[in-house]
Amino acid sequence: MWTIKRFPALWLLPALLPVALMTLYPVAYAFWTSLHSVMLLFPGEPFVGLDNYKRVVSSNYFHDALRNSLVFTLLAAPLVVIIGTLIALFLQRRFFGSQVVRSIVLLPWVLPGAISAVLWIWVFHPSFGVLNGVLRDLHLIDSSIPWLTSPRLALVSVVIAHVWTQIPFAVVLLMAALSGINSETLEAAAIDCRSALKRFRYIVFPEIKAMIVVLIVYNALTAFTSYDLVYAMTGGGPGTATTLLSFQIWRESFSMYDFGSGSAVAFIVVAISAVLIVAITRALPSDLFGE
Amino acid sequence: MKTRTLFAAGMLACGILAAQPSVAQDDLTLEFVVWNYSLETIQDNVKQFEAANPGIKVKVTDYTWPDYQDSLVLRFRGDTPTDVIYGGQDWLPAWGAAGFIAQLDSVAPAGAVDELKKDIAGFALTDVTYKDKVYGLPYYADTISFIYNKKILADAGIAVPTTWEEVTAAAEKLKAGGMEHPIVYEYNQELPNFYDAFVAQAYGRGAELFDKDLNPLFADPNNEAFKQLQWIADAYSKGLVQSETHESKIIPAMNTGAHAFTIVYTYVLAALNNTADQPRAGEFALAPMPGSTHSTLGFAKSYVVTAKAAADPARGEAAWKFVNFMAGKPYTVAKRWAVEKGLGFGQLPLFQDKDVIDAWGKWADVKALGDQAAIAKAGTYTEYSSVWSAYFRPLLAKAMVGEASVEQTMKDGADRWNQLKEQFANR
Repeated sequence: MWTIKRFPALWLLPALLPVALMTLYPVAYAFWTSLHSVMLLFPGEPFVGLDNYKRVVSSNYFHDALRNSLVFTLLAAPLVVIIGTLIALFLQRRFFGSQVVRSIVLLPWVLPGAISAVLWIWVFHPSFGVLNGVLRDLHLIDSSIPWLTSPRLALVSVVIAHVWTQIPFAVVLLMAALSGINSETLEAAAIDCRSALKRFRYIVFPEIKAMIVVLIVYNALTAFTSYDLVYAMTGGGPGTATTLLSFQIWRESFSMYDFGSGSAVAFIVVAISAVLIVAITRALPSDLFGE
Repeated sequence: MKTRTLFAAGMLACGILAAQPSVAQDDLTLEFVVWNYSLETIQDNVKQFEAANPGIKVKVTDYTWPDYQDSLVLRFRGDTPTDVIYGGQDWLPAWGAAGFIAQLDSVAPAGAVDELKKDIAGFALTDVTYKDKVYGLPYYADTISFIYNKKILADAGIAVPTTWEEVTAAAEKLKAGGMEHPIVYEYNQELPNFYDAFVAQAYGRGAELFDKDLNPLFADPNNEAFKQLQWIADAYSKGLVQSETHESKIIPAMNTGAHAFTIVYTYVLAALNNTADQPRAGEFALAPMPGSTHSTLGFAKSYVVTAKAAADPARGEAAWKFVNFMAGKPYTVAKRWAVEKGLGFGQLPLFQDKDVIDAWGKWADVKALGDQAAIAKAGTYTEYSSVWSAYFRPLLAKAMVGEASVEQTMKDGADRWNQLKEQFANR
């Protein structure tokens, strides 16, 4: 009598309830907050409609954060996929110590963002940093470069660190996709075509295209909502040079005690992320999303 | 069979619960939240408190200094049990206005707070007071200092600078002699003390940032704070300054011998001159803050009881015992921080303490420290100043490195202050 066919909704309830509690309720509450004035310093939480959104969008900080987030995403997402593809292609080959190299490549994946940030701070440090030390030893620079405190270099530096942390995941997925290609097809292509570039373009790429689209979407979202690494490396500075939208959510809510505005920024991030996903999937049509 | 098994399991569970020792249930556990400076000392102080106060346990939760304020707000908003916290002078009025913290009179025996107030230094008392009520007792009270390397200046034949213009001249001479960045600056807009250090420098020049009605004065180009921001921006543009994100990085940087000047919390001097782990220990000294008045910012961090703890009589009483142990007479814990870590204190009798004088004499000229403390001024802190500071610090940071003009920065800062002031007045 109590079969899953007769009462599907009821049977799904134990799984749906936690999802609703853990996901839908916080999202709905955040949306409610974005439409109210929720400031710790002021009593009451009156409805203010879209005022929080208007105030946030018209602030200088928002423009800086939006520009930085878009630049960060446009640089980081393609770089992760391109470098990840190159490494995956390289690691597909069998050579002495390839298993060890594969393990080392995956190392950044297991490090928490804060640890990676500390590591990269020491790479970029003006006095003790590895990078300035190497450049000095090679006589390429006379004075140390302020990688993290120069407004022009800080964003590039955090992009490099972010890309480093994201590459292993891309490599794993791309290696999985590459291993799915029929080996006989690859052998035939090797006989018919001497150019490795052409073989990649006409044989390999079509086979891993779906995975590349997934990776671009995933990395665009990861970069657009990146927080921990950038916060730990630069704290959004110098000035607003590395302030991202995700960081602005935190700053509005917890530094400026304005949870209404913080929630408004969060929903703007969600809206832009949705637009990004649609734009990327349309720009790069893939069999994955076709029939 | 199944019913029997369930019944047996239920009985077993009841038996286990009943067998729990009753002592644990009688203990009251205070949730004590701190930033993670010298955690092992904090834990040891807590252990001593627990030994002296049977029945009260203290659970310590720590956050990093840059994350502390945000984490505390999250705890308050999320109703996370929190009884005693470290308070900062810049957050105290906001937390008081928001109803997060309790005046000490509400948990202390009658007259106890007034008795302790008599011993607290003026600027420290200002920093723990909101609307004429004392909300905390000093954990430590310190100043922000201009620190220099004696050996580098002596070797270069440079006199200790007494004005900011002399600092520029000295730095330029050192740079011409091959020192890449003579000044190290704690440049981290997420740290509340990023603003405090700026105020300390402006105080050295004799600046008043606000009038008595809390109107901002610093947007005036003739104001000394305006001039000081211009000075920092000029120093950066001349390549005299190296940024570091935290004092913990300034200590090894200064000990490379590649820098001559820095502006940090005074207790950092103890770490700089620590012979146990710093190669250039003994080379560092503090000079009066450059400028016409040589004043600086004095401030106090404090032990504060939360409103939630105060609302429960038993918990409030335990919280007071703990705060009194940590900051009250005979000032054993404050003295320990001073002797072992070089932290300043707000409890005036400790200035006469022989152990403190002996310990401080190892890393600083105690007379110079005393002279500086005597002319230190408290900052201007209102309910909205921490919110304003969070807004203003990134602007300051941009202006320092030439990404924004000093004029626009000061104007934007003054405008935002006025907005918040009006908003708060009309709340």
